[in-house]
Amino acid sequence: MQLVRSWLNKITIERIQLELMNTAYGSGHASLSRLDPRCLLIWYLFFAIVPWFISNLTVLAGMFLMMVVTTILSRVTPFIILVLCLGLIGQVGWLFILSLFFGGDISSALPLLKLTLKLSVVSLASITVFSGMDPEKISDGLLALGMPAAFSFSLSYGYRILPVLFEEFRNVLLSYRLRGKAPEEPGVMYWRMAAYYLKLLVLSFFPLMLATAKRSRTTVEALETRGFSYGMKNPAAKKLKLAHLKVSTRDIMFLSGSAVYVSLLFWISGRL
Amino acid sequence: MHNTATESDLAVRLTDVTFVYPGSEEPVLKGASLAIERGSFTAIIGGNGCGKSTLCKLFNGLIPHYYVGDFSGEVEICGQPANTQNVAELSRMVGYVYQDFDNQLVRPTVLDEAMFAPLNYGLPDYRVMGLQALEMCGLTHLQDRYIWELSGGQKHLLALAGALSLSPDILVVDEPVSQLDPQHARQVYEVLRSLNEHYGKTVIVIEHHTEFIADYCKEVCLMENGQVLWQLPVADGLNRLDDLARLSIQPPEVTQAAVHLSSLLRKENGAASHDQQDWPEDADGRGLSSPPESAKCMPGLHPDNAPRLGQDEVRYPVTTDEAVAYFSGMLGGRADLPGAHSSSEASGGHSRPGSRLTESGPEDAQARPIVEFKQARLSYRTIRRAEREVLRGINLSLYEGERIALVGNNGAGKSSLLRLIAGIAKPSAGAVEVMGEDTKHQSIEQLSSHVSYVFQNPEDMFIEDNVYKEVAHCLKSRAYPDAEQRISQMLESFRLESLKDRDARLLSGGQQRRVSLAIGAAVLPHLILLDEPTANLDLATREELLGTLQDLEGFVRTVVIATHDMQLVQQWATRVIVLTDGTVAGDGSAADIFADHHLISRAGLAPTQIMDTASRLDLHLTGSTPAEFAQLVHAILTGKEVPHHAACPQLA
Amino acid sequence: MANQSNLYTLTSSQKMMIFVLSMSLYGLSNMFTELIPALQLGPIELSVEYFAFIPLTLCMLFHPVYAAVGASVGEVIFGELMLGQFGGLGELEKFLTFSFAMYVAGRMVRDPLNRRQVGIAAMTGVIIHQLCSALVDIGKVWIGVEEFEAVPGLAPSVVIVEGVSFLNDVLFSGTLFALLPTLYLVPRLYGKIEPLLGIKPRVKSTKYESAGVITPKVVITGIVLAVVAFVAESLSETDWNFGEWDSGFEDRFGVGAIWLSLAAAAVIAAITIIIMRARAEKRSRNSGDAPHA
Repeated sequence: MQLVRSWLNKITIERIQLELMNTAYGSGHASLSRLDPRCLLIWYLFFAIVPWFISNLTVLAGMFLMMVVTTILSRVTPFIILVLCLGLIGQVGWLFILSLFFGGDISSALPLLKLTLKLSVVSLASITVFSGMDPEKISDGLLALGMPAAFSFSLSYGYRILPVLFEEFRNVLLSYRLRGKAPEEPGVMYWRMAAYYLKLLVLSFFPLMLATAKRSRTTVEALETRGFSYGMKNPAAKKLKLAHLKVSTRDIMFLSGSAVYVSLLFWISGRL
Repeated sequence: MHNTATESDLAVRLTDVTFVYPGSEEPVLKGASLAIERGSFTAIIGGNGCGKSTLCKLFNGLIPHYYVGDFSGEVEICGQPANTQNVAELSRMVGYVYQDFDNQLVRPTVLDEAMFAPLNYGLPDYRVMGLQALEMCGLTHLQDRYIWELSGGQKHLLALAGALSLSPDILVVDEPVSQLDPQHARQVYEVLRSLNEHYGKTVIVIEHHTEFIADYCKEVCLMENGQVLWQLPVADGLNRLDDLARLSIQPPEVTQAAVHLSSLLRKENGAASHDQQDWPEDADGRGLSSPPESAKCMPGLHPDNAPRLGQDEVRYPVTTDEAVAYFSGMLGGRADLPGAHSSSEASGGHSRPGSRLTESGPEDAQARPIVEFKQARLSYRTIRRAEREVLRGINLSLYEGERIALVGNNGAGKSSLLRLIAGIAKPSAGAVEVMGEDTKHQSIEQLSSHVSYVFQNPEDMFIEDNVYKEVAHCLKSRAYPDAEQRISQMLESFRLESLKDRDARLLSGGQQRRVSLAIGAAVLPHLILLDEPTANLDLATREELLGTLQDLEGFVRTVVIATHDMQLVQQWATRVIVLTDGTVAGDGSAADIFADHHLISRAGLAPTQIMDTASRLDLHLTGSTPAEFAQLVHAILTGKEVPHHAACPQLA
Repeated sequence: MANQSNLYTLTSSQKMMIFVLSMSLYGLSNMFTELIPALQLGPIELSVEYFAFIPLTLCMLFHPVYAAVGASVGEVIFGELMLGQFGGLGELEKFLTFSFAMYVAGRMVRDPLNRRQVGIAAMTGVIIHQLCSALVDIGKVWIGVEEFEAVPGLAPSVVIVEGVSFLNDVLFSGTLFALLPTLYLVPRLYGKIEPLLGIKPRVKSTKYESAGVITPKVVITGIVLAVVAFVAESLSETDWNFGEWDSGFEDRFGVGAIWLSLAAAAVIAAITIIIMRARAEKRSRNSGDAPHA
């Protein structure tokens, strides 16, 4: 609780915004972000699915190691790692207690360790790809792999609009605070404070909905004037948009390197 | 309105267009007709709700293709009928930049944004087109930046580049000035001018800042009640003073000054039974006809007698250049004479601020400061994990009863200073004390009963669904015993009683501003902080705001305003604090600060037309209003100011 | 908009507006709810599951399909991709059940000013979503664990776990973050938010263009996707949930292993916090450090 409390005290909307923006945009120089997005997405698909079917500890540990390396290479912010770790503590700890409760014993520890490893591999793979890659590239990659144009646009639009939304949210929240009354006593476990902020959080969405509605209208109108809906129906536009995607030697090396490494893991595990 | 130009010379031609928005009874456009030639730079002006924006949405087919209302009439764009083409096709000929341009930008980086439209159209050289558009707008060096790294002015230019990327012939820009500070607004207009002159674009702006129209546009077009009333060359249009007055559009400052001066001279002449030929000779050589027959020159007083454009048309200057020529013509050879020493007398009728400063100003040793900055520093972390220091060691004391104007260019730290006082931000080093207590140990909620912070954008303050509830919110949530009484007092003082059941978001700019001030004043704070209260206001609303500020004084003793508006500073402040680059560069009375031209330019402040004209004429004007200017010139002309008035034969 | 007939037809831009609105708002809220820590009281977890009131409100006021899909997309983009928590294929199931539940809730309301209707619809929406998730979860275990019946106590415990979490989510999240805010927002926003989008507020007699929305193609795609998601999800969970529960795995690492992995995660978290704090202090304090939840 102490951890959470001090963590809470450390958190500000500004800080969260900053960290998220860093995650989203700060990856321009990461070595992985130069790879072809389609290759990275295929790579991700492998590491998002395959670990679930593997129960061999060596292979999982090896994959975990690899994910740690790629995560470091993609220069993810500490904040994301923190969220991941807290999530793992919650999820796995809870499962462990549950397993004891339902008649499990120490023997369930190993499966749970494996579970932790699997979860970590999948999460780190997703962090590597989705946090380490420029949102533009993700959306191009998804478009190339056949996702609807509206989705891939929404993705990059989401990144564009996030700072604006945060700014607006901050102002609204500030308005409530400047004109509201915080509880005088924090209450047991800060529950009064938590309730106060939760209430503000919910209330904030009333003005926010109206403001966002106003904005959406301009945005969609502007999209119309710039040929967006025209481009959605136009295959030439999509082709043009994706023309810059090229599979280079680097991509092939990355994919084959990964493949060799994974096969090596299986080979080693088979020998053990 | 139909001129003789052939079809192909016309960029836009509207014939008898009527339009009703879906769900609305009243038509927005009622038989509007307009013809705009290729290559022109046209301003569209008109009162609120006269259909300006609706008119412009005809050009790119948003009406009637996008807003499916009741539409009749004909629209031709570049000689082709608009009703047979859809928005996508028309948009290749017409670029549109919205008033809230920030919401128009949909891509994360600058170059992406510029290439967006050509990409959607599937044009193979989209990259070149995007780069070209950036080049036109002077943004090439920023092409790899993210949108949120840009300043407001740069964002506007980018919206412009986005609209230009398809190289349309026509560019429509909706109120470019309203969301920008004066410096950036001018930058945007410079780009528009070069687009018009060098690239041959037809530029159409919706604008109510007549100074900008005078400086940049060639043609002006007035709308009233859904119709185009007239379309004239700028100098003629802006001299239609009665029409402008009726629609509460303020003519340029120099025009006002000239009008004022001629009315003063007329009184004089009338009193002295002077003949009207006694006006100074036409010496400007700029095609301006000589100053008017006095009977025609007082539109403010006798709108019916205002100048008509005809054979013997009367023209006042509209730009600074014209004004300099006009007034120096009148002043003859004496323009370089110092009128400074006694000019305060000339403006003696105008109540000069400043008295309070001496009563309870900082010199008063007994006064306890309300706010004290002790070596306060503030830094923000930016996205690239770099630290940016916005305030670098501020030492300041603000005292009760002061009216403080905080000036400086964008990024100088004005807003940050206000946020430190309100406790929204805490100093990263040093301390800020409000009412003797360090803000570090107080929450926003606690501080806000002493300090009210009024946002730059009033809409950010609206959290309820009607005006009454907005004003009541704070009083009720904090359970003030006299809440009801205070609310009705506020509603009355800020003239909001008739609006109290309306949604504040749907009010006009000036009304919104009043609501925001009422919200701020409701808790009867010791100190109220206003961030850019005159931004986005048209000039009539701005005048109204000055009145509201007076009302505010009934409730709050100390007011701090962060502003770009030099006129507001002149008219209102008792103390001016100039910030440059996070430090205090000047602190004194308005007169002191404005006398220091070096400081003004260093702080990046934009002088008003009147200030500019006065300095170019070498007149040492202490005030800044057109009236003060006219009084000064009048005093010089009538010899009250200058010892050797004999040099002016006409008036001797 | 062709309002003359009361058929609720929208131009494609209006659909896009609703989509964008719903996506941004629900996406933003999702970022917050992902970050709000859960309060755990034994097996009962008081967590802010989601701000369901946002899509519920929008579905009731606007065309429910676009609002519902927009919200789901928003969740994927803001709540998961941006936070690096994207679960890949498993998200498909959530996407479908959530959109479906919100859509149904929106369709249930005929008169947005009728509080009872709004309340019932809001709760129904949450219940449908939670029920679907619970059933899917139970089904996954059922299919996923080969000897489901053979494992003693597994079936009831799964049902109990899912049942408790279902009740939790419906009673806690459902009431506080779906029912109450929706009741507060829908009547207040009705007639106010629609004009901002240039849409005429819906009235009692408003009918949706049902044919255009639910085509056989959509239904079939939905079913296929649901099956794929279900299979993918159950396959993925086969192993870790209960697969090796009682297999008597050799106790090579013992209980220490799990504590070790937990400790490792905790240590990393602690180190990260310390580093962040050290950096923050080095750079002197950031602006606006007042605590937010």
